[in-house]
Order: sequence, then structure tokens, then C-alpha cells
Amino acid sequence: MYSVINVDIEKCTGCRTCELACSLHNYGECNPSRSRIFVVRDQDEGLITTVPVVCQQCEKPLCLNMCPAQAISRDPETHAVVIDEDKCLGCRTCVYVCPFGAPSVDPRLGVAQKCDLCGGSPSCVAICPKKALSYVGAEEESLRRKRTRVERYLSVIGTRG
Amino acid sequence: MSQLYGGKILWIDLSSGAVITKDTSGYARNYIGGRGINARIMYENVGPQTDALGPQNIIAFGTGPLSGTLFPGCSRTDVMCKSPVTNLIANANVGGDWAAELKYAGFDHVVLTGRAEHPVYLSVRNDIVELKDARHLWGGTTWDTQRTIKAELSDPEVKVLCIGPAGENMSTFATVHSNVGNSASRTGVGAVLGSKNVKALAVRGTGGVAVADPDAFFEACVAAHDTIKGADYYEELATLGVVQAEYAYVLSGIEAGSDAHDGVRDLDPQGTTDYPAFWKEYGHKRTGCMGCPVHCMENYDVPGHGSAVMSCELYTQLTWEVRNFDMHLLYDLVKQCMLMGIDNTSTATMIQFVMQLYDLGIIDESLTDGIRMEWGSKEAIHGALNAMVLRNTEFGDVLAQGMKATAEYFDSRVPSERRGGTSTYEHAMQVNNNPMYGINPRMNAMALGYAIGRRSDCITDLDTNQFDTITAPIYPGWTEEHRLAEVEYNYQTARDLTGLQNAGDPESLEGKAQIVHDMGIHTGLSDMAGTCKWHTKWLFLDLRPEHYAKALTAGLGREVSEDDLLRASLRMRHVERALECKMGRRRENDTIPAKEFGKPVSRGLWKGKLGVTREQLEGMKDEYYTLRGWDLETGVPTAATLHEFGLDDIASDLAERGILPGWTGEDFGR
Repeated sequence: MYSVINVDIEKCTGCRTCELACSLHNYGECNPSRSRIFVVRDQDEGLITTVPVVCQQCEKPLCLNMCPAQAISRDPETHAVVIDEDKCLGCRTCVYVCPFGAPSVDPRLGVAQKCDLCGGSPSCVAICPKKALSYVGAEEESLRRKRTRVERYLSVIGTRG
Repeated sequence: MSQLYGGKILWIDLSSGAVITKDTSGYARNYIGGRGINARIMYENVGPQTDALGPQNIIAFGTGPLSGTLFPGCSRTDVMCKSPVTNLIANANVGGDWAAELKYAGFDHVVLTGRAEHPVYLSVRNDIVELKDARHLWGGTTWDTQRTIKAELSDPEVKVLCIGPAGENMSTFATVHSNVGNSASRTGVGAVLGSKNVKALAVRGTGGVAVADPDAFFEACVAAHDTIKGADYYEELATLGVVQAEYAYVLSGIEAGSDAHDGVRDLDPQGTTDYPAFWKEYGHKRTGCMGCPVHCMENYDVPGHGSAVMSCELYTQLTWEVRNFDMHLLYDLVKQCMLMGIDNTSTATMIQFVMQLYDLGIIDESLTDGIRMEWGSKEAIHGALNAMVLRNTEFGDVLAQGMKATAEYFDSRVPSERRGGTSTYEHAMQVNNNPMYGINPRMNAMALGYAIGRRSDCITDLDTNQFDTITAPIYPGWTEEHRLAEVEYNYQTARDLTGLQNAGDPESLEGKAQIVHDMGIHTGLSDMAGTCKWHTKWLFLDLRPEHYAKALTAGLGREVSEDDLLRASLRMRHVERALECKMGRRRENDTIPAKEFGKPVSRGLWKGKLGVTREQLEGMKDEYYTLRGWDLETGVPTAATLHEFGLDDIASDLAERGILPGWTGEDFGR
């Protein structure tokens, strides 16, 4: 069974260590502008919301289907949706069609960049101090979520049935 | 872009609008970055004649070589100028994400001199540097200012440091604020920015921080993260938060609260200041600064009171210090301080000072603009806070000028017999006019930390230690066995450092000077690197010089040894001390309020014990000066010490001023 990067926004503290690890791992520099994971922060009126945005390796990836250069494919080993930089036109179609806005076109390379799961061992997940990011089986995560949601529901209604 | 550094110092004369850049490299090898480079810039540009709120003062915002990198706690900006509070060095440090953004724009430091003709804000967008009109922002809160600037620059990713109304009005306790609750708070840096007519510094950078050996750098950073996460106190801090730690300190008598101020001795009469319960009820999420695994800030959402961030000392200042036991009132006050851009700690200690005098019958409401300054009074605390920010009454205007000015105001209006024949200043909890923290100065090492600290407070200051303050906190939920195991660990750490059996014992004077000396060097290291001092052994999170040395070596591509770093940290401290001495500081200024001497702790673990005496403090100072190489008689760094650290130019300057100890007439080759 393949794994994806799961995001638990309640655990995320907004520290952006993931961005730094990603850019350092992939480009040899610390640069959030080039990171393939990006923490969207909102803090209006003092209420802080932080949501890491990263490719969810969709089952039916719009980016893959829509790419005019057919530069995007599925990595058979990691199940990651990956970009062939030699074919990429930098046309941003993938940026526009992605439900999360996860890919971006790197200004220096002129081609689209997105999370490739670091070949099966994502550095952002490894360093996330709050374990807000996890690299687990997609099905396993779905089941875990059901359980945590039920626990919360029970605590809200104040009864265990 | 040079390795780890932006490479440039942005130097702006606000009076003429001239923008120049200087190379960082001239400073970097000896002073690393951040506080180190700031200190050197300060020495070269301010002195005893500089008016802290005049255009000739300069204010420097400094990042370090590890700011904006994967190294933990990479978020810190060191802010330095001459202080309107102490008339010595002002220094405060702010987290968030501004430091990283400045690096990404290609700059290491921003230095502002002069005074703008009208309110402006600085906008840095990579290499585009502009001073923009800020007249429409004047009067705005710190949060509104950030939002408006992001909107008008059409970029939500812009990072902003700004002042609130307190800074505009040059209230001497004004802060420089960022995000929600990131704040360079102490010693009046916000007032200095306000005096320059600068509302904000907005930065956006899309470059990166380059490293020489990415793999080795990655490894060094991960090792540092792992060390922090594996440290003894990490779990408590990361899971329970500072809210819990702070409560533990209060329970243990470490946070003086009322102790040091002859106030109430009951811990919590109605049980209403239970911080952990407040967090449980209203906590929204744990948050923190960029690149930090500790996330020490608590974000709240309180119905009817809105959202804000609390952390650390915020819990204890406007509660214990002013005998307020209403958590909702505390929350409102903390939020008001953030929005107005005024230091919570100074505000609390100032209000406490006035309440104390009011309680003793020395002053009445004829001197407080009609406000009845009764302990814990909501109207009194809000009234004094707002007056201090807005300076719209005589009382508020006086408070805004600080403790000495306030005492002089009262002294001139209250007959001597009502004051017991002494100045009201005797009641002020201050060191060099800087309002003190809630940490108990009756504890041996704390007293030394307060006394010699270069900004005369102890906790985020540098020359201080926590050994005897966290040797034995009563954490809720800890068994006595667990607590004693922690105590033993801390005692052993102190023994290892000093070679003295009882160095970790709060009741012993043994080794305290050595601990404070050592702690100052280590926390100084993080200040120079542009990272958070919480991660050093200051708070037992265990980052050691070797972690910094490894990361810097990999990042710079040249060998940086632990010795190089420790020596640079001491060099920085000598520069700061020399500057303070140039500005008039001497041994006799290194002290705590006289009324605190010999008074035992009144509750908690050391009830009836401790209570450092003047003689004991002087003894510790002797040891400390000796370790530092400062003159025993005057407290000024000696010619030999300055020479040893390559600071002959400073020695020469001090000699010319006639204040260099041990100077025999040589000219230092100038």
C-alpha cells in the first residue's frame, strides 16, 4: 500500500520548518519561496490559523491529466505524481487546475515543481516537530480520521452511547 | 549572496532619505552577526551625549547567520539602540518570521539614523528599498498596521515589524511588534523607532540562504532539532506549554509575584489564576516562531474578549504584580498591551509601583488624574495603562517617562514626612531605572543576574542563569520522585560546569558567578547566530556550542570552532560593557533595589530562606568581574582584557575618556 503526506492542521503550529527542510533538501538552500510545501498563515484579529499546503498525490490528478506537455506521470514505486523537468513547458496549467494550488513554477528553473515525496522518505515529515505531517498509508489515515472524529463527537455530545 | 549571510547591511539616514549598503563581511568574523554586530555598530555610533529620543540615536535590527535557515529557532532579530529607559544600551529581541524574510531579501541588518520629516514606513522588497508615507497609519494598532501594509503592498507574505500608539507617543516602554505577540519589548526600542517617525519595517524577500555544504548543513540542523526534542524539559514545554511551566514557577515561589514587592502572600486567594485551567477552557492552538520545535506561545479564543497570544511572563505580570486575580482582565490587558505596542512587564511593574505608593498613603488620587490606584482594580489598571500609552494626562505623561521621572514627580509634590523622609524611588522595583521582572531577585544567582545584566533585567537577558530557579519547580502532575530526579540532574549539571559540589543549590553562593558568567556566554552565542536563546542550556533545551559550530562550519564552508564562538560571544559582551561604561555605568550601578536585600522568600519551596544580602551580592560580583576580566573597583573592562580580545581601539577610546583601568599610557598602536 502506498503512502501520502497527511496534514493535521490542528497540530500545526505554523513553524514552517517543513518549508526550510524541503528547500534545503531539494535545492541546497533555505528558501521558503522554493519549497514544495507551503504553510498558509492567517492571523487576523489575533486568531492564528496555519495550514500546510502540499500535494496530496490525487488518485485522479488534474495536473497529470491536463498537462499539455504530458510531463506529469505517476511514479510506480512511491505513487507520487512527478514532473519530468525536461518536458515541462512552465505553462502553469498544473498550478491552475490543482485543487490545493500545490505546484508552483520555479522562477530560476522555469519549470513546474511539486512534492515528489523525496523518493519515499519526505524530509518535511521527518522534521515536523509537532507531527502535524505524517507519511502513512492513505487508507490507514482515512480510518484514523474516522476514529478521531468520533472521539470528538462523543466528547461534544457528552455521552458514549 | 554569500554563504549563510545576506551579505549587506542596509543603512538609512531618515533625515535625508539616503540609503546606503555596507558589507556585512567586515563585521562577521569577529562578531558573527545579530547582537554581536549590533553591539559593534552601537559602540561606533552612540555615546554618553547621544539623546536616546533624538535623531542622533541609531537603531539597528540584526539577524544572524543562522536566521532563516533550518537550524532550530532561526527566527530572531536583535534590536539595539540607546535606551530611553536606562540611558544605557537598549536591547530587545523579537521572533516571528521577520528575520528570515530580511535574509531572503539579501540583508543581514537594517540600521536607521536621523529622523523622518513625517511618519514613514520602510519597505524592502528584495533589492527595492523605499521609505513610504505612513501618515495614514499613524495612530493604528500593531495588528491593524500589519494588515493595512500587507493590503497596500498587495502581498500577504510581507513580514512587518511595527510600533503601536505607545511607540508613536514615545512612551519609554514601547515595543516593536510583529505578527500576534512577537515583540521586542524591553528597554524602549519602540519609543526610539517612534522618535524617528518610523511606523513600520515591511520586508519581503524571495531569495534564499545559501549554504556551502547542503548535506552536512542539513545533518547539523537535524541533529540540533533532535537534541532539543530529546532534552529533559522538551516534553513539558512542547506538550503542556509555558502556561504550565509558568504556573509551576509561581507555585514554587520562583516567580516572585507579590513576594518581591511586599504584596499579598496568599498564592491565589480564590483559586482564580489557574493558568492551565484557562488554557484548557479557551485555548485555540499552540503556536510559535519560524523554525522552532518548541512553539512556546498559546493562542486563545475567548468569547467576548477575542483572540490573542499568551506566553511565559505574560501570565504572571499583570496578575501577581498588581494583585489582579481575574484571568479575563489579565487577558484583556495583555491584548491591549500588544495592540498598543507597550511592554507588559514594564507596565505591570510601573502600575505596581504606583499602587504600592497609593496603598501606603504616600500618594492619593490628586496625583493620579483622579484614578483610585487600588490593588487589583480594573479601572485603575486600565486607566494607568491607557494613560501611559496615550500620554494625554499629566499622570500618564509622567508614567510614560519611567520610574525615576515618576518618583521625582511624586517627590516634588508629596511632603518629605509622608514619604518617610526618603524618595519614593526607594519603592521602585528597578535596576538602572528599568522595571524588573517577576522573577525573584532574592535568589542568589538571580540577584547577580539582575545586577550585572546589561539591560538590568534577568530573564531574556543574557547574563543570568536558571539553575537555581528551575532546580525544583513543582510541576502539576509531577511526583516528588520525578521532581527530585530533575533536581539531581540540575545539580549535576552545575557541578560539571563549576567543579563545585553545591553550585546547583539555590541556598549556596558557591559557583553562582561562574554559572552566570557561563550562561551569559552561551545565550550570547544564540543572539549572535540569530537563533532563540531558549534552545540553549539556558532553559535546558541543551543546544551546545558544538551544535552552532557544526552548522556554521557546514554552512560557511570554513572551520568555525567552539572556541571561536565562545570567544566571539565574550568579545561582544566586552564591547557592550565598554559601551555601557562609556555611557556612565560603573560597579555601583550593578545592583538590585536596596529594599530587597536580606529579605527571605515568603512562600513556595524556599519560604523563609534565601534573601541575598548586599555583602553576598558584592562577593558574587567580585567573582564575576574576575571571571570576565573587568576591573574590581570600577567594573570597567581592563586594558588587558580588551587587548586580549583585539579591542585596542576601544581601549584607546576608554583611555582617552580617562576611564580605562590599568592603563599605563601605551597608545594601543592607534
